[in-house]
Amino acid sequence: MMWMAGSVGRPATRALLHLICAYYLIFSRQARRAIRPYLIRALGRPIGWRDLYRQYHCFASTLLDRVYLLVGQGSRFDIEIRGLDVLKERLARGHGCLLLGSHLGSFEIVRAIGLTQGDVEIKVLMHEQHTPVIRDLFRDLNPEVADAVIPTGSPNTMLRVKECLDRGGVVGILADRLVKQDQATPCKFFGELARFPAGTMWLASILKVPVILFFGLYRGGSRYEVHFELFAEEITIDRRHRDREIQLWTQRYADRLEHYCRLAADNWFNFYDFWEEQR
Amino acid sequence: MVSEGPPHTWDDKSVFDLSALEADVAKLIVQTLNLNIDPVQIQPEQPLFNEGLGLDSIDALELSLVISQCYGYKIRSDDPETVATFASLRSLCQSIEKHRTK
Repeated sequence: MMWMAGSVGRPATRALLHLICAYYLIFSRQARRAIRPYLIRALGRPIGWRDLYRQYHCFASTLLDRVYLLVGQGSRFDIEIRGLDVLKERLARGHGCLLLGSHLGSFEIVRAIGLTQGDVEIKVLMHEQHTPVIRDLFRDLNPEVADAVIPTGSPNTMLRVKECLDRGGVVGILADRLVKQDQATPCKFFGELARFPAGTMWLASILKVPVILFFGLYRGGSRYEVHFELFAEEITIDRRHRDREIQLWTQRYADRLEHYCRLAADNWFNFYDFWEEQR
Repeated sequence: MVSEGPPHTWDDKSVFDLSALEADVAKLIVQTLNLNIDPVQIQPEQPLFNEGLGLDSIDALELSLVISQCYGYKIRSDDPETVATFASLRSLCQSIEKHRTK
């Protein structure tokens, strides 16, 4: 498929996506079940095949577009950008910023946006060990971008985050998905408690940098709608009430995430039961 | 947290043979990270991360910030020694000894 993306072009490769999505939808019962709990809550009505299909097609489209973004073809997309100034202003003052994203839509689309006049360093914190195949693939496509990934799991990890911010750069964190070893904090999401990673807000409070929300929503065809939103100039957490304050901050994030989920329900790419107690 | 501590509390005296710096840094670790253990329970060769003391990379960041404050030694991620530095209390103190400016 990567070969197709490069040689026969986006329209033809996109046609193939329909086949792939249809295949998954028909043959993978697990895939259908995984997204159902979310769709029922987000759409607030009984869901049908069409809804499931849209979800898969949206995911496949953004995955394909990542290839184009990685090889520097961001200009082919029609991107509507909102609120970029909140980020630009702070970067212009030389302040590094944390960019809190999610698995709603595409994070990679950030690469197609000129964040400042000059070059600004963008790094993304990622649980790489879970997706070595994708890592290798991306390394082949664009070694420079692969170097922009800060893998988790080393004592070094957060030092690298801090150093990038100290240089006035941007570090992206997808703050919605809980990984096994993470500490969780329960937050209301579509009216029911779901477990969010607790480490993000704690990290932000140690880094003492502006925190900005980022949502790159895919709107069909080659259209994207990108939202930046100031979350906090600085997050302060009193260690004595650490758990409670982390929960309050994370709940604010979850509320904004829910807001954007309602704007683009089909952009949700957490293909598992997000509310499930034990994972 | 600590899997094999000494059998009872040892007031201020460690059962392990700690240098003065190691004893100080052990206290610093416990204070900074608000760990629910007695600093004298930290074994000098025990891993600080994962299976040992159970620290994570956010803890490492906090620790490096406070070490920079106290000893003027800025731990850098691009230093090939860094991962080895964080291996244990002892290795951390050896690096502090080598690079400290105060």
